[in-house]
Amino acid sequence: MTETKMTDQCLQKLIEERDTIKMMVESFTQSVTEGNNLAEVPTKAFVDHHNELIRRYISGEPFISSYFCCAPEIYTAMELPWSTFLTPAFTGMLNPNYQAEVDASGQLFATDLCTIIRQAAYYVVSDLVPPPTAIIAMMHPCDGINVVHQLMANDEKWKDVPVFGADPPYWDDERSLAYYTDQLFEMVAFLEKHTGLKLTEDKLREVCEESNIAYALWDEYSQLRRAVPCPHGGGMGLQVFGTLTTNLCGQPEGTGWIRDVIADAEALVKQGKGAVPDEKIRLLWFDVLSLGITMDLFPWLEEEWGAVIVMDMFGYAPYSQLDTTNMDTMMRSLAARALNDVPMIRQARGLADLFLTDITNIVKEYKIDAVIYPGYMGHKDGTANIGMMREKCRELGVPFLTIGMDFYDDRYTSPDEVKDRISKWFESMGHTPKSG
Amino acid sequence: METSVKSKNLEAFRTAANTIVNPELQKWMDKGGKVMGYWCCYAPEEIITAAGMAPIRVRATGSTGTELADAYVSSINCSFCRHAFNMGLNGEYDFVEAMVWLNNCDHVRRMYDNWWRKVSTPLTRMMSLPKFTGDKQVAWWREELVFFKEGLEKHLGITITDDKLREAINIHNEKRRLLRQLFELRKSDNPPITGADSLAAVVASTSIPPAEFNQMLKDLLEELKDAEGIKDYSKRLLLVGSIFDDPSYVKNMEDIGALVVADNQCFGTRAFAVDVNESIKDPLDALAKHTIQDRQHCPRLFGEYKRRSQYVQDMVKDYKVDGVVGLRMTFCDLWAGEYYMLNLDMKKAGIPFFYMDREYLMGGTAGQIRTRIQAFMETL
Repeated sequence: MTETKMTDQCLQKLIEERDTIKMMVESFTQSVTEGNNLAEVPTKAFVDHHNELIRRYISGEPFISSYFCCAPEIYTAMELPWSTFLTPAFTGMLNPNYQAEVDASGQLFATDLCTIIRQAAYYVVSDLVPPPTAIIAMMHPCDGINVVHQLMANDEKWKDVPVFGADPPYWDDERSLAYYTDQLFEMVAFLEKHTGLKLTEDKLREVCEESNIAYALWDEYSQLRRAVPCPHGGGMGLQVFGTLTTNLCGQPEGTGWIRDVIADAEALVKQGKGAVPDEKIRLLWFDVLSLGITMDLFPWLEEEWGAVIVMDMFGYAPYSQLDTTNMDTMMRSLAARALNDVPMIRQARGLADLFLTDITNIVKEYKIDAVIYPGYMGHKDGTANIGMMREKCRELGVPFLTIGMDFYDDRYTSPDEVKDRISKWFESMGHTPKSG
Repeated sequence: METSVKSKNLEAFRTAANTIVNPELQKWMDKGGKVMGYWCCYAPEEIITAAGMAPIRVRATGSTGTELADAYVSSINCSFCRHAFNMGLNGEYDFVEAMVWLNNCDHVRRMYDNWWRKVSTPLTRMMSLPKFTGDKQVAWWREELVFFKEGLEKHLGITITDDKLREAINIHNEKRRLLRQLFELRKSDNPPITGADSLAAVVASTSIPPAEFNQMLKDLLEELKDAEGIKDYSKRLLLVGSIFDDPSYVKNMEDIGALVVADNQCFGTRAFAVDVNESIKDPLDALAKHTIQDRQHCPRLFGEYKRRSQYVQDMVKDYKVDGVVGLRMTFCDLWAGEYYMLNLDMKKAGIPFFYMDREYLMGGTAGQIRTRIQAFMETL
């Protein structure tokens, strides 16, 4: 470990991220159950993970850049730490200089490019994040993510970092699954070549089996959110997703944590307690989330309107099980999960029908009163679905609202304007705010 | 600035670029010919031709608004898609028998979902275009071509033989060669044709039935042989970007002394720079290899940036270009990253470069564009 490396500028964001994670996780994991700290395990996992990435960068040991949608069980099985290069932009919102950095990124890239992608790209070209040993590029579901990996592959400081991307097909048939499975095998060969680490069938099975248990528990937890009132607030869905598909993917600590979350939710359901004492409106938030949303908007919804985000795009997944019979079946089911289950990828990659199917299922299963499609400015495929979503909601008999927001830059649509839009929408349904 | 030669073929190309249904296409339909629209130049025009239909690339030329489309898509969706979908909702594409999309970008991908739900086109197809250019992707795309071909066969009750495919490939290769000949003329110090008219010819090549277009372009090339070259220009520009099909945009630039001599655009050289290899025995193999590996790519394809950048740099030399202008459709993420990288490369190569955002229709932005182009030229 050298003094120079410890102070490398490129570690700046990783260190900032590590230091802000505690606050982030705490905001997601608020529970009305006193004395039950559901934030502890994911917080420790995030901090440990970041310390390990920093250590590896300094010592020259392998770590990669990758994503929740690229079969992360494989990385766990290879004992290969990975970071999502979008995360510093996500957590960077807590940094007092964040807006200046957003403006700086807008000097380099078109400001209508997804802000979190633009921001992350800015950190790469500004040498604020450490180059990994290798990159597993996320090639779907949007154009922005494709482009930013081309940019990383051609950046002066990152150009020698090997890049692999599994080519995602548009369809979800058997042929597509076979094609993507083959891509995952190529990914493993690439990782073994560039990291020197090996994937063994036994280890992958162990991780997949653990992941299966965690996914079954995730499903169980989601079922508990059907309860009226909903036991937890809106951020918990994302936290469950984040914990089980990133830092603690396929790990017993993650499984243990989701058991605690379930126990907490079960206790609340039995007591008839909800995230808000007097739940009035059950909402589906059908898009990604951000710190600003979970720390400001969701609490306001709960306090002012008794409105709870019962389900969101990232909390909802088919939670399918991996077939651990042999290497081929594991890779095939990991491919299926990567293509067809992973939130956002699942809906946005191929036909728009999954947007509509998921809305239908969630509205019916979770007793949803109203649907918000916030219309994140980076999700151009989703915003081209608003007519279809509106018609589907009309058919289901639930009000639908689309706003047009930038979750990572409040200046796009100010929080006051968002609240005003939602308030007027609620009022049009006959609701009244608590403040009168 | 004008092309000096007075040519009925050139006039026909200008008309074709300013209309959706040009007289030649109308004649084709009057004789019972069917038409198939495609949304991206990666679509297999050759198979459409082999199926006996006229392939036309979808444009929104003449659109005056997006009122109907705006009920389904948002204002952050690209204006080309909104206008084209609006025309579909208006019934202005009712003349097509079939339409094909590729998942080439977030916006176009969703036009398929909207279109088949709301517009009564008899046959709608989607194709899954790979994002990489390896041999496995060629094999994947070949299968997509087979499904596409079978879909047309079933819908039309026909058989598309290999011989028909080879014939279609030959026709489209001829079109490519003729367009390259036209562009060769633009390398001279005094090209016989303006950038606006060259674009009109390229647009016409995607909307006039191909065999007929080829004859018209052959005739025009003859007419241009002895034409007086253009001298009244100050700087030679190369345009880089995505869909750009309106010659009046180019005329707007050329009216202030620019001469657009080359491009890396999909209504441009990317579509015809490289032929389909006719020596490959299986025509579908040849088409798949051409689309995935041989042709010039846009930023949709990963791992091709260096080739794209070099392509632009080579054209700068070949066409004696003074400056490169990027024209990015607002909300196009694919080109947002491309221009960042291209800007760095152009700087390294000492090639003046700037890019600007634009809407699909020039509308009231003509003055702004002129100002920006003029300012750029003054820096050259």
